[in-house]
Amino acid sequence: MWINMGPQHPMTHGLWNLRVKIDGEMILDVDPEMGYLHRGIEKISEDRHYNEVITLMDRCCYVAGFAWEHLYILSAEEALGVHPPERAEYLRVLCEEFQRIGSHLMWYAAFVQDLGLMSPFLYGMRDRDLVLDLFQSYTGARMTYEYMRVGGVRNDLPPGFSDQARKVLDWLDARFPEYDQLCLGSTIFRRRCDDLGVLKARDCVAHGVTGPMLRSAGMKRDLRKDRPYSAYDRLEFDVAVAEAADVTARYLVRMEEMRQSVRILRQVVDWLDHHPGPVLADHLPRWLGAPYAPIGNEGYLLKRNYPKGVGLSAIEEPHGEALAYVVNDGGEHPYRVKFRSPVFANISASRQYLVGYHVADIPPIMGSVDVCVGEVDR
Amino acid sequence: MSGATLYSVSYALSSALLDGLGSILPGPARAVVTNPNVLVGLAVLIFAVILLAASMLNTILLIWWERKLLGRFMDRRGAMHVGFAGLLQNFADGLKLFRKNTFQPTEADALGFYGGPLAYMVTSMILFGVLPISSGWNSGVLPLTLLLALAIFSFAPLFIFVSAWSSNNKYSLMGGMRSAAQMIAYEVPILLAVVAVVIVSGSFDLTTIVYEQQNYWFWGPLVVALIVFVAGMLAEMERIPFDLPEAEAELVEGWNTEYGGMLFAFFMLADYLRALVGSILVVLLFLGGWTLPTWVPSALTSFPLAGIFWFMIKTYTVFGLFVWVRASLPRVRTDQLLRVGWNRMIPLSLLSIFLAAVLVTVKCLPVFGCLPSMGV
Amino acid sequence: MEPNDIARQLAPKLGAGLVAVEPLPGTAGRIRFRPEAALELFRAVRDELNFGHLSTVGAIDWVDHREVFYVVWSDDAKQYLFLSTDVPADKPHVESASSIWPSANWHEREAWEMVGVTFDHHPDLRHLLMPDGYAFHPLLRSFKLHEPEELEVKTRRV
Repeated sequence: MWINMGPQHPMTHGLWNLRVKIDGEMILDVDPEMGYLHRGIEKISEDRHYNEVITLMDRCCYVAGFAWEHLYILSAEEALGVHPPERAEYLRVLCEEFQRIGSHLMWYAAFVQDLGLMSPFLYGMRDRDLVLDLFQSYTGARMTYEYMRVGGVRNDLPPGFSDQARKVLDWLDARFPEYDQLCLGSTIFRRRCDDLGVLKARDCVAHGVTGPMLRSAGMKRDLRKDRPYSAYDRLEFDVAVAEAADVTARYLVRMEEMRQSVRILRQVVDWLDHHPGPVLADHLPRWLGAPYAPIGNEGYLLKRNYPKGVGLSAIEEPHGEALAYVVNDGGEHPYRVKFRSPVFANISASRQYLVGYHVADIPPIMGSVDVCVGEVDR
Repeated sequence: MSGATLYSVSYALSSALLDGLGSILPGPARAVVTNPNVLVGLAVLIFAVILLAASMLNTILLIWWERKLLGRFMDRRGAMHVGFAGLLQNFADGLKLFRKNTFQPTEADALGFYGGPLAYMVTSMILFGVLPISSGWNSGVLPLTLLLALAIFSFAPLFIFVSAWSSNNKYSLMGGMRSAAQMIAYEVPILLAVVAVVIVSGSFDLTTIVYEQQNYWFWGPLVVALIVFVAGMLAEMERIPFDLPEAEAELVEGWNTEYGGMLFAFFMLADYLRALVGSILVVLLFLGGWTLPTWVPSALTSFPLAGIFWFMIKTYTVFGLFVWVRASLPRVRTDQLLRVGWNRMIPLSLLSIFLAAVLVTVKCLPVFGCLPSMGV
Repeated sequence: MEPNDIARQLAPKLGAGLVAVEPLPGTAGRIRFRPEAALELFRAVRDELNFGHLSTVGAIDWVDHREVFYVVWSDDAKQYLFLSTDVPADKPHVESASSIWPSANWHEREAWEMVGVTFDHHPDLRHLLMPDGYAFHPLLRSFKLHEPEELEVKTRRV
């Protein structure tokens, strides 16, 4: 019997359809159907200025907007040959790491909810709000920030931010043991999650699975370490890995990643305290800073002498390896923008880690994949 | 209500009403209202209405209690805005559901689709009528109330399965099947655990069982039976960690996926009614019912309606424990649940019967009466 | 790994199939190859250069021709490698990489429906993001955003 789990279904955490072939409670086959949230971001980007694409990036993944802004900005800068000031790089790391914590907390909330754990869901959302409050204090927005710019970031931090940030980091550090106690301390949780949704490292690599899922299988691949971008080569942190490759291992990896993010953020906040400076590069092309419609017939939208180029960037997004390829043909719009979404690849391998388990195992397994449909469909 | 029973109260009400009617009505009509059968019929009707009102009020209060408790467990406040501390919120919700359109899926079987929730609701209400709540509040002189209550309790899987199957939805069907499997699996250990209580108390009458606990509450000597009974009740009530039939993560809403409006409200009310009955049974069988230990000052037990008051305190505390479990445990999987049910619960309940038999045979039960800390 | 090393290793195997290996910032290099040599190149890149992880497959419409590109990653070299091939616009097709890297499956489905490049011997070349029966390839330059298109979507009964 085929059943449609989705597009409106509590398991999906978004808008997609997992078609499941079942025999009683056993899964025989799965066939994910995507595209319910397809907005054509790659196509729209071809019709926009480089800075206008940032708006779309926030909508690309609605729980990790900063990560996608960062990804796009890195490749756009490479394609345009622009270099940001150092403070902007640290600010971007600050954004991305806080975003990682926010995204993982969102994952935690949704994942435990899938298992039927009700209270931690609220705890996760509560603590994520603290992170969002921080975002709001310097970008003005809680989810769609439009904060990064080609050549830097929009504005500097407000006064008093670092104290507030340290308070949040202290609070989070104290909460992680609580989270662990509610999940790992529960026998039912271990019975449900151990040896569930196993995807070994070999299969992960073959099927393009990245991020916490890959690291939970013992592969120590983290683009922040392996191919450092922004200020990551100047920061100390460890890559979280686990061995078991099951749902519990993914839980452990994400929890450890949050701890490491807190560690990174402490260094970043300290650095930012002691190194004031500009946050946007000088001598940017005039039209980069003015993202709105041209004035008059000839304004600044005319073709100008701008070097052609391509930019390829990859970051370790909260869900895994995200990659952007921006082609600049000398015009004011990107010629082609291509994004690689980690969740896209992770879902495409779903047959490998779902078949053979129970119907009741689908929510925890898909929860441990951490699906964000916005970036899958783009 | 200490002297009078519930039925005598409704009988008095009925006769007063009919007397008043008889004095103002003309001859032939007066003959009708003075007929003793009419008197009894009206008394029973009043009795039923009181029960209905009490069960509904209690259910709604129970939902409020759960919402507030869950809120506190989750670091929030729960319902706050309608009425004092949100007390009236559930009435507002009920009104909303009442006004909502109920719809029937295509190719759903109308009889099962509408009859299932109704029968589920009605059997749950009968359940409330069977149980004694204080020395005055009981259904009368049925000698086998415990058996009757458990028999009515076990109707539920049938009606759930009927309504799930007839709503023509794969999720509903899966939920219904899980529900039936789970309830049947946990019916057995519950009954066996109750046998232990029956052995110790020597009666199937709930009132007698409560009075048998004058000296010591049964949870002390029968702690194994209590554990089995509570776990089984959690499964019977379909609450986390055993709420797989309506596991919303994978089955949307399980067997009531297709129900909306008032039909959904029926299910919801009946579920909480069963939760209430489950808590009441725990109190009646193991926690001394409406009685308090003998060392409690008599001022606390002699005010009007003291029995009902203490009974409700106990019931809501027991239910609060169920809510606590719900707030802190994840859901188990079907096969795990059934394995625990058949492989662990049944041996445990048999052990509890054995222990009860030993306790009765060696006549060491009064020992528990000498240990004030054990529940007396 | 430098572009020259790659060229030296691949040239004897691929011969004329290998067009050029150019430097590309942020990667080990960009390999340009002819579509006929696709499978041999993929196999060589995976087995001999050890690029085990296919990150993405995409395609670009350059109006007069289309470019299909592959980004692969090596855990040994910790580098990306960029493979690209030009296919004619009138009959764009290239061999599917999914027999070499299973992860190519969905990426190629997306590239096919968006840019209209056919991947030969693909196990499951269906629509992914667009509805079944969708007749257009939205990422072609000829697909204008501002003009309403007549859409004819055939729905499928499941």
